[in-house]
Amino acid sequence: MSILQAVLIGIFGYLGAKRTPWFFGVTGGWNTIGRPLVAGLIIGIILGDVKGGILAGAAVQAMYIGLVTPGGALPADINLAAFIGIPLALVSGGGPDYAVTLAVPLSFLGIVIFNFLMSFNAVFVHRGDKYAEEGNGDAIIKTHISATIPTFLIRFTVIFAACYFGAPAAQALTTAMPEWLGHIFIVLGRMLPAIGFALLLRQSLTDKKMIVYFLAGYVIIASFNITILSLAILASLFAVMDMMYGKEAA
Amino acid sequence: MAETTATTPIKLPKKEVQKACWRFVFFSHCGQNFERMMGMAFTHMMVPILKILYKDPEEYKKGLKRHMQFFNTEPNLGSIIPGIAIALEEERANGKPISEEMIAGTKNALMGPFAGLGDSIIVGTYMPILLSIALGLSEDGSPMGAIFYIVTWLGSILAMRYWLFMTGYNLGLSAAKTVLQKGLTSSVTRALNVVGLMTIGGVSASFVKFPIAFAYQSGEMTIQLQSIFDKIMPRMMPLVLVLTVYSLIVKKGWSVNKVILGLLAFVSAMTFLGIM
Repeated sequence: MSILQAVLIGIFGYLGAKRTPWFFGVTGGWNTIGRPLVAGLIIGIILGDVKGGILAGAAVQAMYIGLVTPGGALPADINLAAFIGIPLALVSGGGPDYAVTLAVPLSFLGIVIFNFLMSFNAVFVHRGDKYAEEGNGDAIIKTHISATIPTFLIRFTVIFAACYFGAPAAQALTTAMPEWLGHIFIVLGRMLPAIGFALLLRQSLTDKKMIVYFLAGYVIIASFNITILSLAILASLFAVMDMMYGKEAA
Repeated sequence: MAETTATTPIKLPKKEVQKACWRFVFFSHCGQNFERMMGMAFTHMMVPILKILYKDPEEYKKGLKRHMQFFNTEPNLGSIIPGIAIALEEERANGKPISEEMIAGTKNALMGPFAGLGDSIIVGTYMPILLSIALGLSEDGSPMGAIFYIVTWLGSILAMRYWLFMTGYNLGLSAAKTVLQKGLTSSVTRALNVVGLMTIGGVSASFVKFPIAFAYQSGEMTIQLQSIFDKIMPRMMPLVLVLTVYSLIVKKGWSVNKVILGLLAFVSAMTFLGIM
């Protein structure tokens, strides 16, 4: 990977983090650029392998599809998982399943960084308190904007360094890895998305009986050759019926 | 109560409220931290508004201080709260009987419910629906899915954030009552839940794999375990896997890490036995 490519991935990694204002704040950053599928597209473009990037991004995305980050409680840092896991999987030639397996330890490393920043940033608040006491609103705005600097420094540096210096290591590792170990990685990578869907089920199933809808969706796609978009339309019809007949029964 | 020297009521220009809305969209999480979460972002959004409303420096200072307090909500749906807060500040500046405590209390009372609603409806249901459709479109490595997600998510959420912010401002406290009405939110939640569960079920059918390599060979005949399962029901084993993981997490209370380690042990054993 060239320096320029690693720098670009580092910058987009920063843009896809929380606490960046650039692209519609959280909505365009953390919730858009930071999603592994979108990250996969961006990384694919940077590394000149759009298809590989998308495939790896989609695999990592499936694993984290059920991840909600309420408040500051972050179960896994998707940002590092995506912006280090996907590029390393691409340059090492390990493929999408490799990206998923790689994403897991990275997401834990990310939590350390996330929690550090969430604690460190209180420094800015105390300065803000002082300016509020002085009645200096403009200084509060400046302080608040400067609070994005630590996020940039840490995210960019970690992602850049991991991509630039980690690429040869990841490559060497994949070639040196015994075949059976590589096989375990691949199989595990294919099964791990089950966790993402299980987590999503846990939060969506406030009413346990609703699992019939999940099963219906599963069986329809597994048995018939229809697209997800058709399924979504079908699902909307089910939702309308649920509302019409649900009321009657109640 | 605010001391207002102005005899004519102060009316915030619509443009200022719109600017505040975009400030909140762009900067809502910039200084997020464990101590006050989005408190400073709220003040950031409020500064120009307070400047217009309070010509008295003491009142202005008090305004800055009351918004520096802890604030945390789901930023997309919760975008109605700053709108309401601006409406209350405007009334206070015009000498209406609105105390500092009432403004702070309103924010505190609303941030929890909107965080809960936002996390479950927007992040927990709406986003996974869009992502599942996107995953379906990108299954073969095409960028269409990612582009679909960027366009639909950004388009719908930015429009919603703007609309909710302005609604919060225009209706003041009654806006929150409308949104929090039990009937409305519960039927929206349920409908989204049905769509979400079905699409997510569909996507999990194509993204979760349970690769079985085992084949029994006897003379000319080979029996592949995978094809037997597929004949019973296509992609049956991945479904069993999802439901197993679900029950381990929900019924047995396993942590995600424990599940990952468990799967690693399972896969290692299966590989060793030549089954996977």
